[in-house]
Amino acid sequence: MDAISITVNGQPHSVEVSPDTPLLWVLRDTLGLTGTKFGCGQALCGACTVHIDGEATRSCITRISSIAGRNVTTIEGLSHDGQHLVQQAWLADQVPQCGYCQVGMIMTTAALLAKNAAPTDADIDEALGGHICRCGTYQRIRQAVHRAADAGKPATSAAKPAAGGGAQ
Amino acid sequence: MLAFYWPPFARAATRDNDTDDNAGEPNAFITIDPNGQIRLVITRSEMGQGVRTSLAMILAEELDADWSRVEVGQGDCDPKYGDMTTGGSMSIRSTWGPLRKAGASARDMLLTAAAQTWKVPKGECSTTGNNLVVHAKTGQELTYGALAAKAAVLAVPKDVPLKDSKDYRIVGTKRARVDGQHIVIGEAHYGIDTKVPGMLCAVVARPTVFGGKVKKFDATKALAVPGVKTVFEVPAVELPPLFGEERKPGSGHQHYLWGGVAVVADSTWQAIAGRRALAIEWDSGPGADESTEKQRAKLAELLKTSGKELKKIGDPDAAIGSAARTVEAEYETPFLAHMTMEPVNCTASVRDGKCEVWAPTQNPNALATALASVLSFPQSALTIHITLIGGGFGRRLCIDYGVEAALISRAAGAPVKVIWTRDDDIRHDYYRPISRHQLRAGIDAQNNVTAWSHHIAAPSTDSTFLGGELPDTGGTEIAGTGLPGGTVPNYLLQQSFLHTAVPRGYWRAVDMNWNHFAVQCFMDEIAAATKKDPLALRRQLIASRQKPSGQADNEGDAPVNVERLLAVLDLAAEKSGWGKPLPQGRGRGIAGLYGFGSYVAHVAEVTVAKDGTLHVHRVVVAVDCGQVINPDMVAAQVEGGVVFGLTSALYDEITIENGQVKQANFDTYPMLRIADMPKIEVHLVPSHEAPGGIGEPGVPSTAPAVANAIFAATGKRLRRLPFQTQELAQS
Repeated sequence: MDAISITVNGQPHSVEVSPDTPLLWVLRDTLGLTGTKFGCGQALCGACTVHIDGEATRSCITRISSIAGRNVTTIEGLSHDGQHLVQQAWLADQVPQCGYCQVGMIMTTAALLAKNAAPTDADIDEALGGHICRCGTYQRIRQAVHRAADAGKPATSAAKPAAGGGAQ
Repeated sequence: MLAFYWPPFARAATRDNDTDDNAGEPNAFITIDPNGQIRLVITRSEMGQGVRTSLAMILAEELDADWSRVEVGQGDCDPKYGDMTTGGSMSIRSTWGPLRKAGASARDMLLTAAAQTWKVPKGECSTTGNNLVVHAKTGQELTYGALAAKAAVLAVPKDVPLKDSKDYRIVGTKRARVDGQHIVIGEAHYGIDTKVPGMLCAVVARPTVFGGKVKKFDATKALAVPGVKTVFEVPAVELPPLFGEERKPGSGHQHYLWGGVAVVADSTWQAIAGRRALAIEWDSGPGADESTEKQRAKLAELLKTSGKELKKIGDPDAAIGSAARTVEAEYETPFLAHMTMEPVNCTASVRDGKCEVWAPTQNPNALATALASVLSFPQSALTIHITLIGGGFGRRLCIDYGVEAALISRAAGAPVKVIWTRDDDIRHDYYRPISRHQLRAGIDAQNNVTAWSHHIAAPSTDSTFLGGELPDTGGTEIAGTGLPGGTVPNYLLQQSFLHTAVPRGYWRAVDMNWNHFAVQCFMDEIAAATKKDPLALRRQLIASRQKPSGQADNEGDAPVNVERLLAVLDLAAEKSGWGKPLPQGRGRGIAGLYGFGSYVAHVAEVTVAKDGTLHVHRVVVAVDCGQVINPDMVAAQVEGGVVFGLTSALYDEITIENGQVKQANFDTYPMLRIADMPKIEVHLVPSHEAPGGIGEPGVPSTAPAVANAIFAATGKRLRRLPFQTQELAQS
């Protein structure tokens, strides 16, 4: 079996797997990076989202052979110790319940904000429309996206405090 | 080190309410290090409902601990912890008393240790909430860490005072979830993330027809797939009951493993590839002629004749016969799947007469019982690690997948992680039962309800696991029928049972969902027929409720407190602007319940366009769940419960054809997504009553509130779930 080279979170890897192996399983089983999740295997739920050269991509349907030589970023490489503005916003709004879908949500949101610093609600609907949260945290997800976007703006005006995520 | 736990009473798993009287519930394991770090062991399963945080908060409160020094750990399945079943919205209700006692006792022992050290009266010592004991008179202080060793050897006090709620520093406040940081950096490990040395991966080809079996299989091509190690048949072994019940011999239960053919490989993808290469001939078995069409027809037929009488007040037949007017309607709900985001999975290592399991389970005690039985091991040979769970909703109360993994590990001679792909998961679930309801009401000349008759036709959930001659088995699932049932002078509740090969299980809020949908929609139909406001009718019926006869409306619950129920209905109405005019095509609907120890009312606001497109704008929820531990997590559970209920109202049904589930993934079993979200507002009633549950009660009122709002908007009744919105299009 030929080895396939990819870079993951800045580290080069040479993996010997069947070329049709989805990137998801290379990450989880071959490289031991279990932050990226398996939810459906058909790109319907978003739990497997990673960045490939900065683009949010469904790793469950991305064959490893199709991304030879590319740069993959997973949740483990998104930030040092959770300091990404999206991760901080997720905690500030206490978004996760079971949390299983949230890595995918965070990865898509990070990619969105890198392209669109001030997404509208319609932009958020479109970017995250491919994701499922069975625990139903969408309301807080939306709040957290706005919070992360506001936090990323240049400090010319006081950041708007985001509305509370629940009852007091 | 002060290591403290409350020794157990040995008793079977229970769904009882607050166990304050029970001196033996070992729900806490407190360790205080000399450096002051406090470690708390949590003895319930975390699946997003926040138990790792809320139970720690209760304990830390009475211990008067510094929350920033508290670390939380998951307890393994262990007899010293007693019943660890996580479900029924019971975690806080069942541990509230014992955890407070444990925390208060530990604090008391620290006070005694300090008093002894300073040789002062204990009554002059106090704690500050900063892990300090102080003696005000002399200004002396000692940390919990410094006192722990001395306190550990003291006798555990029998009776300790508990804090007054006015002194709470932690309980009742918003605290961040203890797992949050790990989740957002991808370091939260769910069952599916388990990795142990030497571990192989497996998937199983299971029969797709209910009751089907392997006739023969050819593994030649599968074994040729690189990485595949072994292929073998998994037997369809019998499984014991889930909650420690007795099962009569020859009961006709349906609790067996699916069986099938396991493919074990070095990695997940190789196992999946191997499974694709299997050639299997199936024996379809008796379930092959089941279909949704036949089930719906049978349910309708069952409602044409009398069922088993469950409750009778007065003479309902006569009252309906002589009523000035009658209102009648039938309602339907489908089989539903759980669809947890983390698909079913389990990792097991069976060797040398021992079994170690890493299970995303809500029911470790049942898993232990089943493993011991199926493997013929003593329970002392079992180690069950309870992992973080990516969604439970009742699917993980079942233990099939844990037993399956153990059998596969034993046969493979190695630790094995068994993963269910999404189609495995949806086609081999324990489904929320299909149901059909016939409701009839008699109205007198003064427009009052004089008679109410409810006939439920459905399969029994418990009979999946217990069997028995229906309808004698447990499974008189009547939650949600209690009101207005007990208020009407002539009342009849009947039940008929559908025999089906489709396995049934516990789905968030269980029978409350289907009964409550029918009852709350029917109340609205009566309101319309009698030209009463739906809220006013509910107030009238509830307020006229006779004094509790000592009989609970819903199994296992305390009798309803009508004031609290009226209060949440009024609060939801107030916050939603109930009664204020809305534009054409827009309407509000209301539904309220008492269940799982809590009082919850929903008002939904919807618009229906001319082409029948439904838009749910807003759901306002009022909650009285007694003493709130963490208000933010209560709100989160209710927000999520509304989404859960709304998804089932709008989209979902499991359909059966030729004994097989037709749905395979999220394309054929859709979920609510972010663009579909209504605005959800949660209003909590401040209370210091004993805590009620909140994992489930946010779900059931959603569908009827929306159905009632649709009627208010259009004058059209949708009596079937999922909503057949094509009926809303104006012709």
